[in-house]
Amino acid sequence: MSAIESLVREFSRLPGIGRKTAQRLTFFLLKSTPEDGRRLARAIERVIAEVVACPECGNLSADSPCELCRDPRRDPSRICVVEEASDIPAIEGSGQFRGRYHVLGGHLSPLDGIGPDELNIASLFGRLENGVTELIIATNPSVEGEATASYLFRLAAPTEGLRVTRLARGLPVGGDLEYADGVTIAEAFSGRREM
Amino acid sequence: MQTASSTSIQVAERAEPASLHRLLIRDFRNFRELRLDLPEAGAMIIGPNGSGKTNLLEAIYYLEVFRSFRGARDSDLIRFGEDVFRIEATIQRDGGTEELAAAFQKTGRRKKVEREGAEVDRITGAIGAFGAVVFDLDDAGLVSGSPGRRRRFLDILLSLVVPGYVADLQRYRAVLAQRNEALRAGRDEVVDAWTEGLIVPGAKLMAARDGWARRRADGFRGYHQQISGGAGASLEYETSLSAPQEDVGWEMRFRSGLEASRTRDFRRGFTTVGPHRDDLAIRAEVDSDGPERDLRSFGSGGQKRTAAIALRLTEADSLREANGRDPVYLLDDVFAELDRERAERVFRLLDEGRSGQVFFTAPKPADMPFRDGALARWRISDGALLDHA
Repeated sequence: MSAIESLVREFSRLPGIGRKTAQRLTFFLLKSTPEDGRRLARAIERVIAEVVACPECGNLSADSPCELCRDPRRDPSRICVVEEASDIPAIEGSGQFRGRYHVLGGHLSPLDGIGPDELNIASLFGRLENGVTELIIATNPSVEGEATASYLFRLAAPTEGLRVTRLARGLPVGGDLEYADGVTIAEAFSGRREM
Repeated sequence: MQTASSTSIQVAERAEPASLHRLLIRDFRNFRELRLDLPEAGAMIIGPNGSGKTNLLEAIYYLEVFRSFRGARDSDLIRFGEDVFRIEATIQRDGGTEELAAAFQKTGRRKKVEREGAEVDRITGAIGAFGAVVFDLDDAGLVSGSPGRRRRFLDILLSLVVPGYVADLQRYRAVLAQRNEALRAGRDEVVDAWTEGLIVPGAKLMAARDGWARRRADGFRGYHQQISGGAGASLEYETSLSAPQEDVGWEMRFRSGLEASRTRDFRRGFTTVGPHRDDLAIRAEVDSDGPERDLRSFGSGGQKRTAAIALRLTEADSLREANGRDPVYLLDDVFAELDRERAERVFRLLDEGRSGQVFFTAPKPADMPFRDGALARWRISDGALLDHA
């Protein structure tokens, strides 16, 4: 296999990248300076060498435990459960949540052979024993995310003094009602609030 | 309550029916390429068995729901040796026109739907563009065949007329597949996690199906009596759930049904109750003055066809109410196996008070002057149009 072909193949294994895009990326690098390509290669090397899953929450970080788990200003009595580490920056960007996180590493999907043992669930229940008062389930509003939420709720509900909550669903802020799909509007209707 | 006479009065006040005009069919079934200008009233399509008459109706209906009404897989609709089929039509509706196209490619199993030349994001959002009902030659099998056929009938119709039904159906199927897999793996707490997700969409499907059967039972009986010359008939949604002690909602019923069947579900390795196990019971008086009998096990071929035509007319009423206009009628040899008297009654029911475009296939020219005899007469042979008569 030629050097070009081998890079095209590596790129096309990435999510959202088809063969055409992989070729564009490859030829873009070939047209750039050698230093541009080396910088990319070094950045990849570096994340592989330095980034690890946090033993506490499962977040991806160069520190262990991660900076969020070490931050003393964050409230350890509230834990927000997400499917992937990549969900954390989205929630952090909202500035709404100052507690701790727990990354499952995916969602339940029997069809794909993913059960509770394949997810980072056992350690979550270990953490709940240390004075946690609220578990916020922020799995995706997909069929699999909902089932995962339901599974966690059943396991966590009997824990005394623990409130289990789920993120609300509805219309996106700043969007137009006419562009929202029917399912979203139906959810927003059933979850409507008094003003 | 709905009788045939009140229906025809209502129709006069409705919007102009939608109709198809330019039609292009390429590499679909036995058509290599067929370009047709469709008359406003419709056409009678005459050809021997195997000439492609039904395929033409199948292509038109494909633009309504983007799947075969015969239950064929998309890849089986592609002409032998080809990779892609494509169907296009110009639809006239509400005083304007719209270009609609559907295509399927075997390589990569890709389906594509275009409106006004732009691909739609979600195919399910594009269904029901004009409103159509098929009177399938094989409809006796709808009445007496497997429950799956009647569920498919309900699912297609309710997807077209009940907002949100198709989304609930997709969600239900996705959760069901996961729950069944969890049952095979045999882990209690994982199964329970999927049970919750099954209840809400499942209850909505059952409520919509049951509501439809209740609302339409009178209309169905009326049509059945008119075609048969007086024999009564009924429609009833038959659920896999046991009858409730008191009047509780579908969610409660489904929840208790799933709890009650839990052990059995584990033993058998799949979900044994729910809308995917339900049926539509179609009953009719098969002997004069006798009780209504279940047509799944009783009745002659002619009696089953009579019930099937009454069911399709009921379907047309649902579409008409939901869309506010008459649907396009796709009649596949609808008078076959009916005696002269019944055939004439069916003709009148399909013609009087109705204005929807008609595509009517028959093996030989029939004296059925739909829409005041305004239908074009076409002959078809081996997937090609021979003449415009």
